[in-house]
Amino acid sequence: MKSLKYLMIVLLLLSITLCNAQSKNQKTDTVKIYGNCGMCESTIEKAGNMKNQSNVDWNKETKMATISYDSLKTSKKEILKRIAFAGYDSDTFLSPDDTYSNLPSCCQYERAKKEIVLYEEPKMKMPTRMMEIVKTNYLMLVFDSYFAVKNALVNSDGNLTSTKSTELVKSLENVKMNELKMEVHMGWMKVMKELKADANKMAKSKDEKSQRTNFISLSNNMFSLLKIAKYREPVYYQFCPMANDGKGASWLSTKSAVKNPYYGSAMLSCGKTVEIIKIK
Amino acid sequence: MKKYIKWFAALLGILSTTTIFSQNIVRYNLTVTDTIVNFSGKEKRGIAVNGQIPMPTLTFTEGDIAEIVVHNKLKESTSLHWHGVYLPNKEDGVPYLTQMPIEPNETFTYRFPIIQSGTHWYHSHSGFQEQIGMYGSLVLLKKKEDPTFRKGIDDLPEVPIILSEWTDIKPENVHRMLHNANDWPAIKKGTVQSYSEAIKAGHFKTKLGNEMKRMLAMDVSDVYYDKFLINGKNESQLSQFKGGEKVRLRISNGGASSYFWLNYAGGKMTVVANDGNDVEPVEVDRLIIGVAETYDIVVTIPNKDIAYEFLATPEDRTKSTSIYLGNGKIQLKSRMPKLKYFEGMKMMNDMMNMDGSMDDMGMGMSLQKMDMNTVMYPEITGMPKMKTYNKESRSNHSINANKDFVTLNYSMLKSPQSTTLPKDAPVRELRFELTGNMNRYVWSMDNKVLSESDKILIRKGENVRITLYNGSMMRHPMHLHGHDFRVLNGQGEFAPLKNVLDIMPMETDTIEFLANAEGDWFFHCHILYHMMAGMNRVFSYEKQAKNPYLPNKKWAYKKLQSESNKFHFMIENDFTTNGNDGMAMLQNTRWSFGTEWSLGYHDGHGYETETHIGRYIGKNQWFLLFVGFDWRYRKQNGEADRNLFGQTNTKDQRAVLSLGGEYTLPMLVKLQGEVFTDGNVRFQLMREDIPISPKLRWAFMVNTDKEYMTGFKYIVSRNTGITMHYDSDMGIGFGVSLNY
Repeated sequence: MKSLKYLMIVLLLLSITLCNAQSKNQKTDTVKIYGNCGMCESTIEKAGNMKNQSNVDWNKETKMATISYDSLKTSKKEILKRIAFAGYDSDTFLSPDDTYSNLPSCCQYERAKKEIVLYEEPKMKMPTRMMEIVKTNYLMLVFDSYFAVKNALVNSDGNLTSTKSTELVKSLENVKMNELKMEVHMGWMKVMKELKADANKMAKSKDEKSQRTNFISLSNNMFSLLKIAKYREPVYYQFCPMANDGKGASWLSTKSAVKNPYYGSAMLSCGKTVEIIKIK
Repeated sequence: MKKYIKWFAALLGILSTTTIFSQNIVRYNLTVTDTIVNFSGKEKRGIAVNGQIPMPTLTFTEGDIAEIVVHNKLKESTSLHWHGVYLPNKEDGVPYLTQMPIEPNETFTYRFPIIQSGTHWYHSHSGFQEQIGMYGSLVLLKKKEDPTFRKGIDDLPEVPIILSEWTDIKPENVHRMLHNANDWPAIKKGTVQSYSEAIKAGHFKTKLGNEMKRMLAMDVSDVYYDKFLINGKNESQLSQFKGGEKVRLRISNGGASSYFWLNYAGGKMTVVANDGNDVEPVEVDRLIIGVAETYDIVVTIPNKDIAYEFLATPEDRTKSTSIYLGNGKIQLKSRMPKLKYFEGMKMMNDMMNMDGSMDDMGMGMSLQKMDMNTVMYPEITGMPKMKTYNKESRSNHSINANKDFVTLNYSMLKSPQSTTLPKDAPVRELRFELTGNMNRYVWSMDNKVLSESDKILIRKGENVRITLYNGSMMRHPMHLHGHDFRVLNGQGEFAPLKNVLDIMPMETDTIEFLANAEGDWFFHCHILYHMMAGMNRVFSYEKQAKNPYLPNKKWAYKKLQSESNKFHFMIENDFTTNGNDGMAMLQNTRWSFGTEWSLGYHDGHGYETETHIGRYIGKNQWFLLFVGFDWRYRKQNGEADRNLFGQTNTKDQRAVLSLGGEYTLPMLVKLQGEVFTDGNVRFQLMREDIPISPKLRWAFMVNTDKEYMTGFKYIVSRNTGITMHYDSDMGIGFGVSLNY
């Protein structure tokens, strides 16, 4: 019995020393963390807490956080950095802008204002480019709307594609055939019907997949038209062999850099310029 | 007469002083010593120069004479290569090619005039010393009166930045493990791409297709690193800069095998030079810096009292390293999201033919313009499992954010001055295909490693035009010593000058240079482990003068060749309850000496060994032709085994020679056929290391002697595992597996 008592005492003593050892490295700090609501609180605490390392308690009224941590295993800086990567500024770290703007809207707290200091550039002469004034040319409007449709597809935005296609239908309707030059007129006659049909289908659908199918023939017809009529800037005829289930598909662009409308972001840069249609 | 002499002496005096003025000798003393470093929490061996890692930044001005005195206090030989610098061949610092190695306790002086400007770097060209500390910045400044001096760029405050990586494993051992396809680095990085992970990601078919085409798990880098470093630190701050200031970062990638993505939290970055040569300023959001490349970048610190993070992320995105510019609160840059490996694997499957060659589907890729890796970038293709707080915020930010996001590629680099070569010079056209196979970690050019190829002779005064095609599955930073080459990138006469060309899989690029510096120059992949695997060539000028540092060039070239074709040893043994199974192998680029054994604990189980000496055939090395020797002893009371072909053998005591071949079938199953001297024939199917889950491997074997085996291994650490296997000879067993 006696020995048991001793054992108990020894155990108790041991546990006290253990506790002591732990609390020696245990530190507690109070820091300000910017945030709004209860949702912020759980995100901040989740980001800051780490088993056997750190514990964060944030108060949404005072915006103050009590951080206790094992100074051998981690540091205040490390904890605040993790919280910043979850979207919350402190007086040590500012959260990345994209992380902040991805926070739910209720959590988008007011950030401290930054004082912008402008760099004084030595003044440089900017070359002034001559602007060409062009009489309203309805075909140009058609091409403009086509490029808008293509850009909407590059962004894989079915709704926008549909709106832009509706505009394309309108500009197609507006073309005054008899004002066109002879050869352009002939070219227009050849593709007019199909252009309108494709644009109409694309306007009605909101699904990028079916829009892209129509966009293949739309682009081909647009290419043969633009080749005759020309555009106000050089136009790049581009081709991606992987599109259309490996059969390949083309499109027109005003930029030489490839932005593929058939995949959206997944394969944005697939393709190459096959032909450059120069200005008149 | 006397008067004349006086005058003459005076004249001489004036002349000599002027030469001293214009030819400033700048001397550095560098002492190379062994040291103990602690980058990861563990103490490891490193090499320090003047007591520091990275080596000190050396600064010269164009027109100086550089005199660098190297004191080697190591227990091994060393060398220093001046990367990207025009210099006499004997000062280039490649042991056995331009000089003899600097032996322990020897002092060697490099001395050369500085005839160019720009951001360069220097490193050891001996063994793996570059990996453990022997890299440093080398800044060559323009003279103020230089006609190419750019106001607003060349007069900005500047900081040398050298990127590198650290591994706790000795680099020699890393190299050996790569050749033995050790899984441990992939486990540490979480890139095993096992079947269980594939199923979870909904990519079982992709993984199956991948193995059908005999590919191992794909990765963008091979080595696991414990830490990544900027100027020798994982995290550091330059608080001397204030809001509104512009800073020029002179960045060199001194990593042994890591490409780095560069991002800046304070807005766009302006690229103003590459590989030490000025380029027309171009604004980008991010760029990738290949191994051994240099970029000069101008960044602005936009706000007062805020420091902005400059972030370097290795291509595999496992970790990162940062330096904060400015003082005050730190504005962080978001980390690059993890790669989607199975998407990349799917793409590779589509691009790879059954015979192991690559098919670019007629796209004619070049100049980093189309990065096939983008399918793996979540920031471009969308996050895999992003929490949707509300649908709007997602579509607004993550997808449209990259619309005007500019990533640098080579076609955007334009020299401010014309770089055309002399038009009337004769042209020598060369073509190289970069080749390699991941399975045995063999890297070569035109399927030949350095030890299988002679020096390539070129003539002084001719234009050398090289077309490179990368037919391998990894990107390679190809570096030419002693010259800058033009990269034909569509900029016409303003093609940029470079000395390292990053070439991605399936790309074709053309470079050209005027052969104007005689000597023997190395042309190699700058990934240290690829270089040491033999991905090298030497350009040698015809009729060059003798190199005083290297009297016997023929012998030296043989030494150089053998450096990158060394034998790699591996051994593995399973200690189980029913016996010992193991193997040992010694391999180089083409040859393999291997022996397997299986030792029971008593005569009934038997003892056997098989030894094979073979040579790998073909580009992908799927075929191994070998001669073998089998020995076995087993006590089974004279009962004879009958094989599938009706041939018998007792196996009680057998010692035979054999001739056979081993072919890797789709699904990476090895088919082995052997004819023995006693007339017996044996065919065997075998696969080890089928990745079931990140740490679990399955193995099986069947053969026409009606023997079979199946087993599992759970990998515990780099050298140990727990095994369970069933064997037709020895029954079921459990145990531990050790490997080296």
